[in-house]
Amino acid sequence: MTRKLTPNPSCSIGGVKMADQGVADPGNNNNNKPETSEGTIIKVTVKTPKDKEEIAIAEDASVTQFKEEISRRFKAKQDQLVLIFAGKILKDGDSLSQHGIKDGLTVHLVIKTAHKAGDGSSTSASSSTSTQAGSASGSSSGTNPSSTAGSTGSAPPSTQTPNILTGFGDLASLAGLGMGSANFMELQQQMQRQLMSNPEMLSQIMENPLVQNMMSNPDLMRQMIMANPQMQQLMERNPEISHMLNNPELMRQTMELARNPAMMQEMMRNQDRALSNLESIPGGYNALRRMYTDIQEPMFSAAREQFGSNPFSALGGSSESGAQPSRTENREPLPNPWGPPNSSNPSESGGSTTGSTSTTGGSNPSVSNPLGINPGSLGNGMFSSPGMQSLLQQISENPQLMQNMLSAPYMRSMMSSLAQNPELASQVLMNNPLFAGNPQLQEQFRAQLPIFLQQMQNPESMSVMTNPRAMQALMQIQQGLQTLQTEAPGLMPSLMTGGIPGIPTGGGMPVENPAPSPSSAATNTAQQQLMQQMLQMFAGGGAGGSATTQTPEVRFQSQLDQLNAMGFINREANLQALIATGGDINAAIERLLGSQPS
Amino acid sequence: MDKNATRYSVQLYIYDLSRGMARSLSPIMLGKQLDGIWHTAIVAYGDEFFFGGEGISSCPPGGTMLGPPDTVVELGETEVSEEIFMDYLSSLGESTYRGDRYRLFEHNCNTFTNEVAQFLTGRPIPSYITDLPSEVLSTPFGQILRPILDSIHIAPPGGNVINGGRNI
Repeated sequence: MTRKLTPNPSCSIGGVKMADQGVADPGNNNNNKPETSEGTIIKVTVKTPKDKEEIAIAEDASVTQFKEEISRRFKAKQDQLVLIFAGKILKDGDSLSQHGIKDGLTVHLVIKTAHKAGDGSSTSASSSTSTQAGSASGSSSGTNPSSTAGSTGSAPPSTQTPNILTGFGDLASLAGLGMGSANFMELQQQMQRQLMSNPEMLSQIMENPLVQNMMSNPDLMRQMIMANPQMQQLMERNPEISHMLNNPELMRQTMELARNPAMMQEMMRNQDRALSNLESIPGGYNALRRMYTDIQEPMFSAAREQFGSNPFSALGGSSESGAQPSRTENREPLPNPWGPPNSSNPSESGGSTTGSTSTTGGSNPSVSNPLGINPGSLGNGMFSSPGMQSLLQQISENPQLMQNMLSAPYMRSMMSSLAQNPELASQVLMNNPLFAGNPQLQEQFRAQLPIFLQQMQNPESMSVMTNPRAMQALMQIQQGLQTLQTEAPGLMPSLMTGGIPGIPTGGGMPVENPAPSPSSAATNTAQQQLMQQMLQMFAGGGAGGSATTQTPEVRFQSQLDQLNAMGFINREANLQALIATGGDINAAIERLLGSQPS
Repeated sequence: MDKNATRYSVQLYIYDLSRGMARSLSPIMLGKQLDGIWHTAIVAYGDEFFFGGEGISSCPPGGTMLGPPDTVVELGETEVSEEIFMDYLSSLGESTYRGDRYRLFEHNCNTFTNEVAQFLTGRPIPSYITDLPSEVLSTPFGQILRPILDSIHIAPPGGNVINGGRNI
C-alpha cells in the first residue's frame, strides 16, 4: 500500500527519524502518552486472549519494531510473538502501514508457548465429555445383547440404539442439559440421528474411559437393559433373551463388540451370512419368518415406539408421564413458563396429561401405585379435579420425575424470581390450564400465593417434594382428611375449601395436625385462619415451625413407641397413621392394617 | 501484498435454537419480531468451534446435536495457521472463555464467535446475531424472564471441550 505522507512537515522525510525517535524513547511510549508529533505516532491496541494493551508506535514502523515494543510490554520474546491483523499474519519484513494498521485499530497477538497446542485438539477428541457419552454407551451395549442373540433373531443395532438410549441416557443428561429453549424430545432424536449418522462419534464415545468403565460392569449393563419396560415385555415373551442377558460371558463379549466397531461389523456380516444360509434349508424360510415375527417385530415396534416417545417412559409406568420432562424443559418459549415447576407440580403433569391416565382409577395396589391410592377417591374440593388426581398419582408413581424436575438447574432461580415477583407468578398461574376452568381455585390460589411461593423456597418443602415416600404420605393424609370429612362432616365442614393451594401446602398439614385443631374452632373462618397460620408457619421455616408447635413425632412419641413395640416397624407409616387419627392408637393400627398391602 | 501464505477459509455456522418457534412466537411473546434464537460457531481448518456452558468446544462441522446449520456465512480467509489458532483458543479457554464464564446475555457463544471471527479475518459477525440479547432484554417479557434465562447455559452436546485448563 502507499505510504501515507503526513501533512506535518517535520515528518516528511523524517518518517524514519520519527520511528527512530519513537523507538528510542521507550520511556515515553511505555506510558501511553500521546507523542507531541501527531500523525506519525499511532496508538494501536494489541489484544491477546488474556489481555490488551495500547501501544504507541510510529505509523511507518516496521513490524519488527512493533514487535520489539510489544515484547517489552508483554514481557515475551520477539520470536514468540505472532501478530495478526485482518486475518493476515504480520511478517517481520512488513511495515504497519502496509497492512493498513492505523490509529485506534486492533491487532491480535498470540504469544506462542513452547508446547504444541495441536495436542489439545487430538486428546480432547478422545476424552469427550458428558453424559452423552454415557448415554450412547448405554445404547450400544444395549444393542449388542440383541445382536449376538443372532441365533434367536437379530435386530439391527441401530434401531436398538434409541431403545436403550432413551431409557438411560436422558436421565443423566437431563440435569446437565442446558438447551432450555429447544424441544427436548426433538433434541433427543437429533442426538440419536447424529449418533447414527456419525460413526466416528460413536467410536470417540467408546474411547471415553467413563464409558469403558461402565461397560466393563456387566451388572450395571444388565440392570440398565432390564430397566426398560419394553425389554421386560420382550423378555417375558422370549425367555431366551433373559438367558442371554444373564450369561456374563455373553455380556462381556457383547461389550467387547461395542468397543470395537470393526468386530461388530464382522459379527453382523457373519450373522447375515448364517441367516441367508438358513433360508436355503427346507423349512428354513418358515423358521426365519417365525423368528422375525416373534422376535424382531416386537423389538422393532418397541424401538420405534421408543424412538418417537419420550425418554422418561422408561422410568414411569405410563408413557405419558414421559411427556413431563419435555414440558419441563420446554418452559422457555412457552407463554406459560411457570406452568411446569409450579406448585402445581401437580398442574404440570396434570395439565399435560389430564386425559392420559385413564388408569387413574385403580384402588388396588400395584407396582407403581403401592398405596393403592385411588385418586378418584381423593375427595372433593380442589383435589377432585381430574387433573389434580392424575397428577397426584403420577407424582407418587414417578418420584424420579419430581427429582429431576426440581433439580433442573434453573428451577431454583425461576422459583426465586417468581417469589420476588408475585404478579408474574399469578399471571402465569392463571394461564395454567389446570386452573383455567376453575375460578374458585384461582381465587384461592391467588390469596395463598405469597405464602405459597415462600414455601417453595423453603428447602424443606423441596425435600418433601422430592421424597417419594413423603409425597405418598401427603397423599395419604389427604385421603385421611377426606375420609374424615365424609365420616364426620360436622367436624371440619370446609377444611378443604379453606384454601389449600397444592400439595406442598398439603405439606403444611403433617407438620400441624389439622384434625384435632379444628375441633376447637367452631366456625369456617376460624378454620381458614388456622390454615393460614399453619401455612405461614410452614413457610416460615421448619425450625421455626417446629419450635412453636411440636412436631407430630414429638407429640406422638409414646404412641410411636407403642406401635413399634407391637411390631409396626414402619415408622413413617405409623406417624402418618397417628397424625390422621389424631394420636388414637387403635384407630392408627386399623389404618395401618388396612392400608398396607401386605 | 502478495504473500504466498496458505489461506484457510473461515465460515460462520448459524443455528436457530428455537427451530423456527421464535419466528412465529416472538411477536406474541416479546412484541417484536425475532427471526431466531441464534447460536453460532466458527468453522475453520475442518472443525467447528463454539463456546458453551462447558467452555470452548470443537466438533466436526455440523456435528453437534443441533445438526446442520440453518445458515452458513463465509467470513473470508485467514492466514493464521491451525497451530497458532489452537494456541489462541487455548489461551482464550483459560481466561475469558472458561466454562464458568458463560453468560447467556452478555458473554455467550456469539460473543465468542465474534471475537474469533475478528481474530481470524478482521471482520465481525453479522450484527443481527450480536444484537439479539439486547433485543430481547429491551422487551418487558425479556426483563421478566431475565433471571431465569441468566442461569441457562447453552451447551449443545456433541462437542469436545478444548482444554486450555480444566474447565470442569
